Amino acid sequence: MKKIKKYAPMIVFLLFIFSMGFAFLLLPKKAYSPSEKRYLASFPKLSVETFLSGEFGKDFEKYLSDHMTGRQFFVGLNAYANLAQGLNGVSGKYLSGDGYIINEPLNPIDNRLDENTEIIKNFALSIDVPVTMTIVPSTGYIMNDKLPLNHLPYEDEKYFESFENSFKESNVNFVNLLNPFKEYTKNGDQLYYKTDHHWTSLGAFRAYQLICNSMAITPTPEEQFSVETYQDFYGTTYSGSAYWFNPADDIQLWVNPDNTEENITVEITEGQKTTESHSLFYKEHLTEEDKYPVFLDGNQPFVRITNTNAPDGTLIVVKDSFAHCLVPFLADNYKNIVMVDMRYYKGSVSELIESENADQVLITYGIDNLATDTDLLWLK
Amino acid sequence: MVFSSLLFLFLYLPFVLLVYYVTPRKFRNLFLFVVNLIFYGWGEPIFVLLMIFSTIVDYVHGYFIDKYRSNKKLAKGLVVSSAVINLSLLGFFKYAGFIADTLNVLPFLNIPSLSIPLPIGISFYTFQTMSYSIDVYRGDSPVQKNIISFGTYVALFPQLIAGPIVRYKDVAYQLDHRRETMEQFTHGVKVFLVGLAKKVLIANQMGLLWDSIRESGEANGILGSWVGIIAYSFQIYFDFSGYSDMACGLGNMLGFEFLKNFNYPYISKTITEFWRRWHISLGTWFREYVYIPLGGNRKGIPRQILNLFIVWFLTGLWHGAAMNFILWGLYFGIILIIEKFFLGKLLAKLPNWVSHIYSLFIIILGWVLFYFEDMNALMAYLGNMFTFSNGIIGSTALYYTLAYLPLLIAAAVASTPLFSNLYEKLKEKRFMWLAETALCAVALFVCTASLVNQSYNPFLYFRF
Repeated sequence: MKKIKKYAPMIVFLLFIFSMGFAFLLLPKKAYSPSEKRYLASFPKLSVETFLSGEFGKDFEKYLSDHMTGRQFFVGLNAYANLAQGLNGVSGKYLSGDGYIINEPLNPIDNRLDENTEIIKNFALSIDVPVTMTIVPSTGYIMNDKLPLNHLPYEDEKYFESFENSFKESNVNFVNLLNPFKEYTKNGDQLYYKTDHHWTSLGAFRAYQLICNSMAITPTPEEQFSVETYQDFYGTTYSGSAYWFNPADDIQLWVNPDNTEENITVEITEGQKTTESHSLFYKEHLTEEDKYPVFLDGNQPFVRITNTNAPDGTLIVVKDSFAHCLVPFLADNYKNIVMVDMRYYKGSVSELIESENADQVLITYGIDNLATDTDLLWLK
Repeated sequence: MVFSSLLFLFLYLPFVLLVYYVTPRKFRNLFLFVVNLIFYGWGEPIFVLLMIFSTIVDYVHGYFIDKYRSNKKLAKGLVVSSAVINLSLLGFFKYAGFIADTLNVLPFLNIPSLSIPLPIGISFYTFQTMSYSIDVYRGDSPVQKNIISFGTYVALFPQLIAGPIVRYKDVAYQLDHRRETMEQFTHGVKVFLVGLAKKVLIANQMGLLWDSIRESGEANGILGSWVGIIAYSFQIYFDFSGYSDMACGLGNMLGFEFLKNFNYPYISKTITEFWRRWHISLGTWFREYVYIPLGGNRKGIPRQILNLFIVWFLTGLWHGAAMNFILWGLYFGIILIIEKFFLGKLLAKLPNWVSHIYSLFIIILGWVLFYFEDMNALMAYLGNMFTFSNGIIGSTALYYTLAYLPLLIAAAVASTPLFSNLYEKLKEKRFMWLAETALCAVALFVCTASLVNQSYNPFLYFRF
């Protein structure tokens, strides 16, 4: 016993490094990490050439850290250890009140908000179809009272003022969500997820109402929808922050009972391949941890939604992922909706407008994406 | 390979320890020699040849210096030859690009810019091998006739890439006669974990703080700029001393005992004292192999001042091939000369807190010189530190300062001997073994967590 006491640190150390080493060597490896949504490094190619150049050595280290035993556990431990030191936000996400995990504000100096606004204005000038633009405020700005005391400032107020001014002197119909969203939140609406950077279905529905009003069309009334709620949704801010003890979100599908297989067709085109489905919701994604792709199957280059019950009209949507839960509402107002994601769609949007004989263009971005997006350059 | 990596901790180290301890004593140096090369060559196998070349060259020099000891001229020639070869290696790999760039200032020259990759640790091991030839020549250490033992010394992995600079005479006996014990191993584990925690839990975080603040430039205000450079001062100390601790701890695990490289430098009351506590093995090296051979203080005051300038010029240059490192060295040279001839006596009379503030001020200002290779950026940062025109503290800097405040305080306390003194007082207490072991376990887990986290790259906004 005396000896054990004396050598205890050595014993603990050796046990730990040897079991970590053996566990790595012996346990089976996973190919895919669902929480990171990426394929893990595969065993590097060993040849005389890759070895001598040192490439093998470097790739092997990547492989090792990707497949370290207990990786998920250690990443979580690291997150909570940082938190214990007062470092809330080093992962770029704040653990906030009521289980909200909120992305830190966009970089106030190095961002592309002005460039992208300019691109959109010029685009609107170059076409003869009305353009409506809406930008989703950041969760941190709207849910400000949930944030930890010490956080970087969210300057949405300033940004939205400059959007407002900038679009005023253009032919873009800018639907400003900032103040309405603050009001709704004050009245108890949950507009954003707690564990994901997106808005909730309610948030998207509120925006839908405001957009319809500004375009002088009638939104489907709230009572028309039957709301289905699904539990255990763990979104991107959850998996990015590694606060594994944080409770899950609920995710709601707002289903209009009038839209059935009979009248709804969704076609997703990727490259040469087009797949067809007859529901606005891709429920197979509800079994996954990140359930947000239930809306229009996640990020796709080109999506066409047709609703034979809807009034005549064609809407073109240029968007990021925030639109996925907004556009299903608009399917009640347009017979034909074409949605393109500039990150993957490299065709000309003005040609698309012409060939589709479009009546209206809607541009929808979350403010963080708009600030970093470099693909709007393709908007021509 | 670096110590603070998963590869080292969980594959290389267990393998080395396991095989080392089952290998008969006779072959342990040979085994160490081989794994040293694996350690060194990982990521850059080609430089193993350089290491072997260094080993052979210095072995041969040592051998013949010893053999022709009676022929003063020849022996001296051999020492010079050894120094020239070592310094040429260092000069070529580390300084060629810098020298070319500097010479290009001359209008009639146009040397194409060189990009020679720097072999890791070359500044450390060339100094070690030089010390060997010189010590053998001076009769300060015995010649090593066994090339394996010698090779083990040159490339000994614990101190190979970031020191301490172990002089041959300090480990000559240990190389062939060390006896590993469990006490020493256990002690090594503790020292290693202290070093690992210093590096991973403090230095890396302070690095993040420094990066975040530095990027905001003028917007930081005067106080923000000071917090930034203080964070960098902590980063560099905990990084470097953490690495030295890990080296000493690993040495212990293999039966070696290295000399201490850092002794709480930030508690110094003078800059003279600071340099006795900071990177001790480098200071010792320059004193023994440059300052004293140049005559030290024995040839009159003007000569002493010149000698000090030479030593501090070289110390600066050793830290990096750029102008700011030379300035940094000379800056300390000048301050040391001033302290030596009058300020030192004055400081001794002043209250302690004044001397502490004086020293920290000089040291921190030194780190600004040390960090910025670009002179414009250097002047801009210094400007921010001494003007109120940019405000007291910017909102970004304030946010980061508050977030890192607990860690800044912990780093400040850990820069003093407080914890070490407390440990000495408590270590005989009844349950101390339990507390100590628990701390080791916590350090291991949390450091591993931080290392694993570096590879955690959520890929969330993209499709695949």
